[in-house]
Amino acid sequence: MQHDHKVRTLSRRSLIAGAALVPVAALAPAAPAATQSVFSAADHKTLEAFAARLVPNDELGPGAVECGALNYIDQALAGALADEKTSFLQGLAALDAYSRKTNNAAFAELPDEKKDAILTAMDTGAAEGFENARAVFARFRRLILEGMFSDPYYGGNTEFRGWDMIRYPGPRVAVGAEEQQMRTPIKPYRRSALGANNGHQS
Amino acid sequence: MAINLKPVDVAVIGLGAAGGVAVLPLARAGLKVAGLEAGTWMDPHSFKPDELHNNVRGLLTSVPKANQEVPTVRNGPSGPTRRGNIHPMMNAVGGTSIHYWAQSWRLKAWDFKTRSEVIKRYGQGAIPKGTTLEDWPLDYDELEPFYDTIEHEVGVSGKAGNVQGKIDPAGNIFEAPRQREYPMPPLRGSGFTDHMHEVAKQLGWHPYRPPAAINSQEYQGRPGCAFHGYCNRGGCHISAKNSTAVTTIPAALKTKNLTIFERAHVTRIVSGADGRVTGVTYIKEGREYFQPAKVVLLASYTYENSRLLLLSTGKPYPKGLSNNHGQVGRHYFAHYQSGVSALFPYDINVWYGTPAQASAVDDWADDVYDHSGLGFIGGTTLQPHTEMHPIEAASMNTYGLAPAWGAKWKSFVRVNAARGVSAYLQTSTFPYEDIYLDLDSDVKDPLGDRVCRVTSLVKDNERHACEYGQKKMEEWFRAAGAVEVSRAPIGAPGVSTHAYGGTRMGDNPDTSVVDRWGFSHEAPNLGVLGASVMGTSGARNPTQTSQALAWRTADHLVKSWKTIAS
Repeated sequence: MQHDHKVRTLSRRSLIAGAALVPVAALAPAAPAATQSVFSAADHKTLEAFAARLVPNDELGPGAVECGALNYIDQALAGALADEKTSFLQGLAALDAYSRKTNNAAFAELPDEKKDAILTAMDTGAAEGFENARAVFARFRRLILEGMFSDPYYGGNTEFRGWDMIRYPGPRVAVGAEEQQMRTPIKPYRRSALGANNGHQS
Repeated sequence: MAINLKPVDVAVIGLGAAGGVAVLPLARAGLKVAGLEAGTWMDPHSFKPDELHNNVRGLLTSVPKANQEVPTVRNGPSGPTRRGNIHPMMNAVGGTSIHYWAQSWRLKAWDFKTRSEVIKRYGQGAIPKGTTLEDWPLDYDELEPFYDTIEHEVGVSGKAGNVQGKIDPAGNIFEAPRQREYPMPPLRGSGFTDHMHEVAKQLGWHPYRPPAAINSQEYQGRPGCAFHGYCNRGGCHISAKNSTAVTTIPAALKTKNLTIFERAHVTRIVSGADGRVTGVTYIKEGREYFQPAKVVLLASYTYENSRLLLLSTGKPYPKGLSNNHGQVGRHYFAHYQSGVSALFPYDINVWYGTPAQASAVDDWADDVYDHSGLGFIGGTTLQPHTEMHPIEAASMNTYGLAPAWGAKWKSFVRVNAARGVSAYLQTSTFPYEDIYLDLDSDVKDPLGDRVCRVTSLVKDNERHACEYGQKKMEEWFRAAGAVEVSRAPIGAPGVSTHAYGGTRMGDNPDTSVVDRWGFSHEAPNLGVLGASVMGTSGARNPTQTSQALAWRTADHLVKSWKTIAS
């Protein structure tokens, strides 16, 4: 995981610069290739459509998709949360099946207001025939929020957009009194805590 | 066949908050001590400022042994049983003192004599129905020297409110008298906690900075707190949090009288035909060992203390070690969850800090105020504090002002995540007949040993006391300018970090497991350490009291060595 992450967060420039020194074959397995996803293309579209309605991209700023929530969930289900991969994918399939049953179309193809109606039905438990719809909704929502607001080390919170959205100024090793005042903006520290030495200075 | 080890003077089961303290006076006195710890040493460099790791996935605290022995919980003796949450039982050198909030309080004198004080002030009828509450066999004054020792040996920051009867309004004026000031000043406030502090004064209340086993300045060669905001369920990367892993345990090791056995999974305490304990059986890396000891001190955490006694049957103890009076597992209780959250109309920035960076109020705690006509006894400490993490903040209560998702949710959360906060409330809690620990009838750990089962219930006395405290907290938040306040519903406590009883301390073997010194009424060379010996909770965290009691038990053992060990 840690190795993967380091490769993935290398800047494009350093990747290109480094490529001259490293055989291409050695780089290939570490690249975030779509084929490594736990999601099929259809699953990915369904989840993306769900996430985009749960936390939309709008004039106020990026939404869940732009904050990298899908990449977080993908990595989590491939690793730390592998135990729930099957149930998560079943949830996505159930969502799509419910959409086809009630709207005669894939969830991702629906207009926004129809998607929202399905999210509401799931959230309130009104989605008839959609087993455990509330639990599925709650888990999707929870993991999407984790993806938006966790340390970028885990694949989400792209460019710290989630933390910027809520003005979380970022983990730091030591915090001064001036960084704990009310009504006073705190200068954001856009760094992952899990870089070299776990973010701690020794 | 178990491998027999070289006999020691004292085997201590569990090197956490309590066992980790007791080893120091024993080792200093020259006794040879074996510290049997199911976990390992943890490297402070591995402590991450990472919400997902610490708080969401609980990776610091979810270690294999504790994970496999999570107690089950049921609501009343006929309720369905479910697995409890994982958090409380940490296995590591230092135990839960690694990841706790490090709030380090003394109980009040009232907590030791609640029954007699309540009867004196309000009459027999004020005692809650069904409670098994009794006065402790010792009073505050007897424990005071040990509180003082812990505050200095472990290192506690705070401001005294009552030094030998002299009241100082800069500290907690309601505290019981102490012999001297804390060894360190209190942790600094934040903008938010300073604001709450001033508002409490305007209300005519008496706020103070709560004591913490966290360095506010360099102490014993370790630095002051850096307030980085990952204290709750996280270890301290600079060892400013005074877990026993950085304080009393290293000090005990220096004497060369303490040997620590890591990954030692204790399975039984063994007793002889005469009723005395002879040592401890443990499994390490697939092999079984027997550690003979003249004295055994059980310090494994409230749930495991009762469980290990109940599992350790033998000829003299057919119902479990030290359980011939049927008291093991009885008089168990846990603090209720009764938080109050609030929303302010501006950024309060409580991201960083630590939960002990707070303003606390005792005006509504214990028996500080007149309870006549209120219908309950006991009270609540109110404590707005810092430390909030981004996922937690984004998962905030929307107070009915926004839906749980969509553009309106986003619009709400982006404005308000930095404006929300929760206060921590702790309410006096008492033991009852029908709340207890025993062994689960079905659920077993991988060794085939039944796990601990918690039978819990909401009691009217505690519920009313919690609700009264919540109303006071709401009043405080509103006075401070909060635009929304929400009081959490009061439910039955589940598996808790504030778990008490099961091996209660008392003079009467028919109502307690250990005597006033912490030694078994039945097996004279078996002592029990931890909050499992406490008969009341007070309205505050248990750790310092369990540490003071642990030191006192060890001190008694040293002084009475010949009587107890032979």
